[in-house]
Amino acid sequence: MKLDRNNILTALSIALFFLFVWWANHHLTSYAVRIWEDTLIFLMLSAGYNLINGVTGQFSLEPNGFVAIGAYVTAILILTPAQKESMFIIEPMVPWLANLHMSFLPALIIGGIVTAIVGFLLGFPVFRVRGDYLAIVTLGFGLTIRVVSNNTITITNGSLGLKGIPTYTNIWWCAVWVVIAMIVIMRIVDSAFGRAMKAIRDDEDAAIAMGINTLWMKQIAFVTAAFFEGVGGGLLASLITIISPTVFTFFLTFELLIIIVVGGLGSMTGTAIATVLVVWGSELLRVVEQPMNIFGLHIPGIPGMRMVVFSILLIVIMIFAREGIMGQKEFSWDWLFNKFKGKRA
Amino acid sequence: MNLTIVLQQLVNGISLGSLYGLVAIGYTMVYGVIRLINFAHGDIMMVGMYFAFTGIAMLFLPWWAAFLLSMLASALVGVIIDRVAYKPLRNASRISALITAIGVSFFLENSFLVIYGGVPKAFPVPSVFGGAINIHGVIFPNIAIITPIVAMIFLMILLFILHKTKYGMAMRALSFDFETVRIMGVNVDLVISMVFAIGSFLAALSGIFWAMRYPAINPLIGIMPGLKAFAAAVLGGIGSVTGAAIGGFIIGISEILVVALFPSLAGYKDAFAFLFLIFVLLFKPTGIMGEDLERGRF
Amino acid sequence: MSNIILKCENLTMQFGGLVAVNKFSIQIREGMIFGLIGPNGAGKTTAFNMITGNLKPTSGKVYFYDKDITGMKPYKIVSLGMARTFQNIRLFSNLSVLENVLTGYHHKLKYNLIDTILRTPRFYKYENQMKEEGMKLLESVRLEEKANFRASELPYGERRKVEIARALATGPKLLLLDEPAAGMNPQETTDLMYFIQEVKEKFDLTVFLIEHDMKFVMNLCETIAVLDHGVKIAEGKPEEIRKNPDVIKAYLGDINA
Repeated sequence: MKLDRNNILTALSIALFFLFVWWANHHLTSYAVRIWEDTLIFLMLSAGYNLINGVTGQFSLEPNGFVAIGAYVTAILILTPAQKESMFIIEPMVPWLANLHMSFLPALIIGGIVTAIVGFLLGFPVFRVRGDYLAIVTLGFGLTIRVVSNNTITITNGSLGLKGIPTYTNIWWCAVWVVIAMIVIMRIVDSAFGRAMKAIRDDEDAAIAMGINTLWMKQIAFVTAAFFEGVGGGLLASLITIISPTVFTFFLTFELLIIIVVGGLGSMTGTAIATVLVVWGSELLRVVEQPMNIFGLHIPGIPGMRMVVFSILLIVIMIFAREGIMGQKEFSWDWLFNKFKGKRA
Repeated sequence: MNLTIVLQQLVNGISLGSLYGLVAIGYTMVYGVIRLINFAHGDIMMVGMYFAFTGIAMLFLPWWAAFLLSMLASALVGVIIDRVAYKPLRNASRISALITAIGVSFFLENSFLVIYGGVPKAFPVPSVFGGAINIHGVIFPNIAIITPIVAMIFLMILLFILHKTKYGMAMRALSFDFETVRIMGVNVDLVISMVFAIGSFLAALSGIFWAMRYPAINPLIGIMPGLKAFAAAVLGGIGSVTGAAIGGFIIGISEILVVALFPSLAGYKDAFAFLFLIFVLLFKPTGIMGEDLERGRF
Repeated sequence: MSNIILKCENLTMQFGGLVAVNKFSIQIREGMIFGLIGPNGAGKTTAFNMITGNLKPTSGKVYFYDKDITGMKPYKIVSLGMARTFQNIRLFSNLSVLENVLTGYHHKLKYNLIDTILRTPRFYKYENQMKEEGMKLLESVRLEEKANFRASELPYGERRKVEIARALATGPKLLLLDEPAAGMNPQETTDLMYFIQEVKEKFDLTVFLIEHDMKFVMNLCETIAVLDHGVKIAEGKPEEIRKNPDVIKAYLGDINA
């Protein structure tokens, strides 16, 4: 890496970010820290999600299924053999998995790699035929992974799920991983690979005619997203400590979709802004599902109302404000300096 | 396994397959005219079920009136969805329309959850569809016999409309050449609305028969059959109505047979359509009846 | 005698029952500007798509320098040295002019994903080298001042030039142009004619173009083939084609229709 102005500034802002994490960890309530942990994990997930949807333009609905894989793999690897033995009461776990035990970091990485492999296998049949069917295949995969985890009792403990997952995840784990994810993804975007992905998004036939192997480029985007979704799943599993086939529902995917649409499809800067807005906004919206008293009028809680609000929000943005907050624009130091000098970026 | 059971399972599979086929037709027609995977289409099944449920259990209408009104109302819902959510995006990128479609799907599911609650409702099955008949010692539920007959009747009507009426021909022409049809003075938006109306009408029909087969309905019930119907549409060759019907039969029959032959795999029943979809994409992406809709792109 | 760069043998394309192109055969020599003309819907673009690998011919063969490329993937054909443009200009509208050109270098990319993620010296070296080459290419077509404009911001005539520059970036020996003058006014058309001649000399190319505009082809091409209803009805020098009764009939029929 070169030591020029931009890289030094980037390094400084990462340092500033870790300073914020340190501050948040010491001065915020545990509730607020928890929401920040969610925010950081969601940022990692949505950055990957935006790489395939926004940058490469291939509409996909994979996150909840992929997060589930990462969560299960990591959970199985960090649970102790004793815990697993007492938990698997319907049928015992397959022996080689039951005795497998490792620390958090390798477990997270393996979770990411397994998810990436699944992504590769799933992407192959779909991208061979232009990727139109990616969304429905990944949607189907999310449903299928639920069916499978319900039935593979000797691996996943079926519908009982896994309990007592060690709580390694804290705000530092989340912060470090989100920095890694953002650096990797933004570097891919800012390279010949990113240009090829954007070319596919803008006009796939022309991209093919330019000699771009579109199948391969789509796979790189999809597999990268899958890896970070797997890691994110591992972090989440260790944060919520209980996972079962019904934990990672389509709502997770939907929330990420809202994030990348609000931020601007194709803009990682927009994704970062939107993640903070949506995760914290979603917390505030919990109010509408709880019973409340307004001026003496009792309104019972309406389950599902939050999701109705979200879906209307998504449709309205798509129709009236398709660009989102940032469009496809990206923050860069050059842009900032030019702004100061009053020049056109 | 003896012949009686095989026969029973076959009838059962045909019946289930015709339900998938009816939904698949809507997917295939919408994709044919506007190249959109209408994610909300499976949910229209659910909408049809709840409308019929409301008609019978809450408005105390006779079953046939409730069914008909439900199908017409669902057709209207389909048209409104297109006009409000999809039409403004006709010239936008493909991904915008797909995202909106998933938004509509999520909206339908959750607004019905808000209105009717998440607890499954018992669907009131009219007595005509209730019993079973005994043919030479083999017992068939009435619903399993009636479903494919009704489905065939509606398929015939649809094929007649598509091939013998002006608007039907316009629908078929649209899937080949949008601009030419517009230039020929056909009201393209009207034709697209009709496609949505027909597709949603048939999805509601399928939903109602689904509800009589499995009489507990909930707001998320349309997702799984919707997905399988989509697999059927791809298998049949997306864009082909006959193909969609055949694809539906294949998926329905194989689902029933797999469960009957390998009871240990019953738990994986819902994963089956997904595998089917992957295999079709791998080996025959244009489907069995499909023409390559992407041809002549340049 | 120079080498034969492209040879088509009995190329045929059927869509369902419809024969779009029937037994199309041509030979193009290195250094030529070869034109393919014909009325609308004659199958010109279909013939092109079979050559570039966008369509797999029903039957027949395509040879590029004696190498059989029939049914080969388009991106592989590009790396052999054949590039194309599209009838309705298809730039990557959200990318800058320079980035559009850079996509043309992608098939000979010299750094990999690991270099990209770790930002190795190799990444910087070749990324900068590509950008310099891209700027040089833009200079040679006098578009360097537009390098940072978004493609969608350019006027029509310049977009066509960018599209040609983007195709040149792939390092082609044979350049296929699909109706390059479509939608241009007479001034732009004349400009384009000189432009094509200029890049042909500068980059040592063979050019194969489809055109609807007779005048454009007559002035530019050394040899012309005529396609009507999917069948090649004539081939020869511009003046021969001008006098050929079959060609006149095909075009007049087109006017009457």
